[in-house]
Amino acid sequence: MDIRKLRKKLVLGAVMLILSISLAACGSSSSKKIVVGGKDFTEQDILVNIVSELIEAKTDIKVDRKPYLGGSSVVTSSLQSGDVDIMVDYTGTGLVSVLKEEVIADADEAYRVVKERYDNDFGIKWLEPLGFNNTFAITMRKEMADEIGIETISQLKDHAKDLSFASTQEFLEREDGYDSMKEIYGIEFKDVKAMDPGLAYTAIKEEQVDISVSFATDGRIPAFGLKILEDDKNFFPPYDAAILVRNDILEEYSELEDVLNSIAGKLTDEEMAKLNAQVDLEKKDSKQVAKQWLVEKGII
Amino acid sequence: MGTENIFLSFINTMNERWSMVLDSLISHIWLTLIALLIAVLIGVPLGIFLTRRRKIADFVIGVVSVFQTIPSLALLGFMIPLFGIGPKPAVIALTIYGLLPILQNTYTGIIGIDQGAKEAGKGMGMTSTQILFMVEIPLSISVIMAGIRTATVLIIGVTTLASLVGAGGLGDLIFRGISSVNPGLILSGAVPAAVLAIFFDFLLKFLEKKMTPRGLRD
Repeated sequence: MDIRKLRKKLVLGAVMLILSISLAACGSSSSKKIVVGGKDFTEQDILVNIVSELIEAKTDIKVDRKPYLGGSSVVTSSLQSGDVDIMVDYTGTGLVSVLKEEVIADADEAYRVVKERYDNDFGIKWLEPLGFNNTFAITMRKEMADEIGIETISQLKDHAKDLSFASTQEFLEREDGYDSMKEIYGIEFKDVKAMDPGLAYTAIKEEQVDISVSFATDGRIPAFGLKILEDDKNFFPPYDAAILVRNDILEEYSELEDVLNSIAGKLTDEEMAKLNAQVDLEKKDSKQVAKQWLVEKGII
Repeated sequence: MGTENIFLSFINTMNERWSMVLDSLISHIWLTLIALLIAVLIGVPLGIFLTRRRKIADFVIGVVSVFQTIPSLALLGFMIPLFGIGPKPAVIALTIYGLLPILQNTYTGIIGIDQGAKEAGKGMGMTSTQILFMVEIPLSISVIMAGIRTATVLIIGVTTLASLVGAGGLGDLIFRGISSVNPGLILSGAVPAAVLAIFFDFLLKFLEKKMTPRGLRD
């Protein structure tokens, strides 16, 4: 036989084989899979994995993980359109960014409002809060806080005149940021430095400043030995995290809601920060970190 | 947002916050001038020295070039443990960024002058110091000044990053504008910075003309 003809036949055969395999793969994947989506930062990546591991361990449902989909608006609109079935979001984000409502200071009230509105407007259910509140946090080095005996932001009042504060530009500019905080707590720092968020951590770690503003579940808080001063006047808006699921998915898979609610209230600020640190600073795999947490908690 | 709206919000921001803009502008000018002065004081003598030690010239200029390639945020990050926060690390970083064009142009300018002119000076019995100040520097002043002008515009631009280590400057307005999605606020930092760069460039051009020997002016 002519070599050229043989080669042609072989190529044709290979193409057919690849096509049939890939078609078969497509066919099976569309059968029974739900999509868990996440925003483009570490914490969301870990949460996507926690939710997915939980579902896979407790049910027969197949899960498609889609972390790092994009910003908040991308993931939310994917959830609304049905491209994503499950995500984790924060009450403050839902209220202000998605529903365009005013900030609600009371955490329970904020949760009640987003839950009701999402159900009515989008057919999406907010499950029970996970337990952590990723809002602004005023932090101080632990040894310094212990030395002067400070637990809350109110107690800063008498010491603030000797302390310097590193802030992000955002916090200085926001209406519910530094200016309002100063007024409500009656605090006047010795010095306020506007800085890059990352460099502010370096500055407080290197003892160049005493107080800094960050987000409550940032992995650098436990890693650099920082302490969050309690917001005892409930000044910062609540950003409680909860799992969001489309109503049609909950109906289709009746066991799903109870399974997902089994981790409600179990993930505290501190624990979330530690998980973030494991991925961000210790460079561990987020899937492993998620699974390990579920095992340690005795959930799976 | 339309162009007109951005322009309007820029005007409004300038109106409402002129005192903040002014404060930022003044600290921006200070940071720039101090860094520029130090960069000139290091760059020009070092450049002249290297024309006398040509064997190490490539190496030294290479090292300064390497500093230029460090991303500014990373450089500032390294500075904090060593120099703390505020104007000090900012000025050091800015000086490092301004050094290369000044050093490079001083070296190239002096190397490139007509050897005949130097020979003539020697023939008249000039000492090497006299040759430097009366022949080499005057003949290469336009190249040296071009380097200083490049460095000035560069430093004015990079000074916006001083705001990342708490040193203030027009970067404060720009980064606040970015974080709060406020184009008017971004412009109220960016426009004065651009105007400042043009103004300084013009000023230095004028100075360069004055410093060029009369016989070399066109």
